[in-house]
Amino acid sequence: MNPAIPFPAAIANEVQTVALRAENISKAFVSGKQHTQVLDGLSLHINAAELTLISGPSGCGKSTLLAVLSGLQKLDGGRVLALGSELGQLDLRALERFRLQHTGFVFQGFNLFPALNAFEQVELPLNHMGLSRSEARERARASLDEVGLSHRMKLRPSELSGGEKQRVAIARALAKEPELLFADEPTSALDAANGQMIIDILHRIARTHGTTVLCVSHDPRLVVHADRVLAMEDGKILNDLRNHAPVSASKGTP
Amino acid sequence: MVALARKTLIYEWRRFLPAMLAVGFAGLLQLLQLALVLGIFGSTSLYITGSSADVWIGYPGTQSVGQGRSIDSDVESRILMDPAVQRVEPYIWVDGDWRGKAETGGISVFVSGIDTHIDALMFSNALPIELRERLNEPDSVVVDRSDLDQLGVDIGGTATINGRQVRVVGISSGLRALGGVNVLCSLETARHLDSDAEDIGPTYLVAKLRDPTQADAVALRLRGDTAFGPYTTWSADDFANISVRYWMFDTGAGAGVLFLAGIVFLVGAVITSQTLIAAVNGSVREYATLNALGVGVGALRRVVLEQAFWVGALGLLGASVLGVVLLLLARGQNVPVVLNLPAALGCIVLVMGLAAVSGLAAMRSLRAADPATLLR
Repeated sequence: MNPAIPFPAAIANEVQTVALRAENISKAFVSGKQHTQVLDGLSLHINAAELTLISGPSGCGKSTLLAVLSGLQKLDGGRVLALGSELGQLDLRALERFRLQHTGFVFQGFNLFPALNAFEQVELPLNHMGLSRSEARERARASLDEVGLSHRMKLRPSELSGGEKQRVAIARALAKEPELLFADEPTSALDAANGQMIIDILHRIARTHGTTVLCVSHDPRLVVHADRVLAMEDGKILNDLRNHAPVSASKGTP
Repeated sequence: MVALARKTLIYEWRRFLPAMLAVGFAGLLQLLQLALVLGIFGSTSLYITGSSADVWIGYPGTQSVGQGRSIDSDVESRILMDPAVQRVEPYIWVDGDWRGKAETGGISVFVSGIDTHIDALMFSNALPIELRERLNEPDSVVVDRSDLDQLGVDIGGTATINGRQVRVVGISSGLRALGGVNVLCSLETARHLDSDAEDIGPTYLVAKLRDPTQADAVALRLRGDTAFGPYTTWSADDFANISVRYWMFDTGAGAGVLFLAGIVFLVGAVITSQTLIAAVNGSVREYATLNALGVGVGALRRVVLEQAFWVGALGLLGASVLGVVLLLLARGQNVPVVLNLPAALGCIVLVMGLAAVSGLAAMRSLRAADPATLLR
């Protein structure tokens, strides 16, 4: 790939709808003498305003893929374009700024501060985005309302159920109004009903906000709810399936 | 702005309590030590600070009040020749051996022979006028209330100093000495008690100036004249400082204070930093999540430093309250404690410095807050 011409004219149209693009990426981990090649020359693109699910058995490299696509981890080779920015070119500060402005995260553990109530959990990252106090509060309120927790805003994590905690975590990511929302095993700590609710919320976010939601999970219950399912094994995309009629044709290129 | 540092501190106060206690006790220990040292060594300059003389005249090279040598009594007329000097009086210091009727053994006493006029300079701030008048009786002495048990006497009791009988005619307070017992008497009595034949003149001459603010200039002007035998001069402030400094540093007490300050700082910083590190580690996944959401490492560090600041401030508050109570208690028990502004500021700097160092140490464990670790 010639870096001087990042996007050939032929696919310029597609740039509008592709939010994330990975080109020939590779990533290995070294622990002691053990060298593990997790990703090896993988390419794919993720469409905007869709819920894309990466599924596969544990150890297949799906969390590593999420980490490099979201800029949390550096690549060994290849490149990642997120919203047109090449993440590998950004230094630590610039990456933080990119994440602050464009990305949201939901993790398996809810990672909520025990001392803060639900409202404060959501408001806290907004304080660092340069929003006015009133706008931050307004966004936090709207976001908690959207995940159905407006009546539980003043409760601390110890007073919330697991499903409610994950909804607070989603509201925290959602309130930033990110273009990209990354979710790592968001349902694996939850029972069926709560897991269902979480995936519904993520799906709705993709639809109503136009957010690109990339979800990594080995939970088979999620498959039917995703717009697109990428099945992964041994660091490769084996299968690229669409559940509904696609808006635009797109394929993973393993 | 969500006050993460403060809210966490309040919600998880049990977690932070050891740090606050460590900071508080470090501050308290340092405060009391300083107050005691200042109190105890301050008493070595009592002779100067308890008197209203502006200039002291004594033997050259004298290192503290208790180590004077007699000077020629004719020096007095030389001093009086200076127009700035209003009055001069002699002061006689005698090292004595007190032997009482009670079983106390021999006690080392510092006999201060002073002028007994109503407007005399020596101990004018420490000795009530009516007690001073009683010293006009031959061989009468005044001692401090806190020394009565040690001397084994009460008012009206008798004992011998350097083999000569004296009678306690009054009991004063605030005259405690370091390394011995202060005994006040008249100049006449002191001359009788001095068994050293070489002591022909007074140990010191003390002078009152017309303008006390000129003490330094006058002391300088009067120095260096040897026509009446060797003597030198100090302003009262200088001589008090020389005395305190001699005790602080030549006795090793000052080094002890600094050493203990170092130990207190070290122990306090270790406990405080460990507590703060544990607090950071306890929230490391939450910090990592904030970082994943784009909140910079700098902002997270500020949270840790703010926590350290509050730990320091709260510890200091506790130490101040307890310190004031203990100092008042000590005063009530005649324990010499003195706290001045520089000493208090020193304690505050030590405590907040301790908290800051601990916060910086705890900041390092934020490196574990790598959001990539949340994805494994």
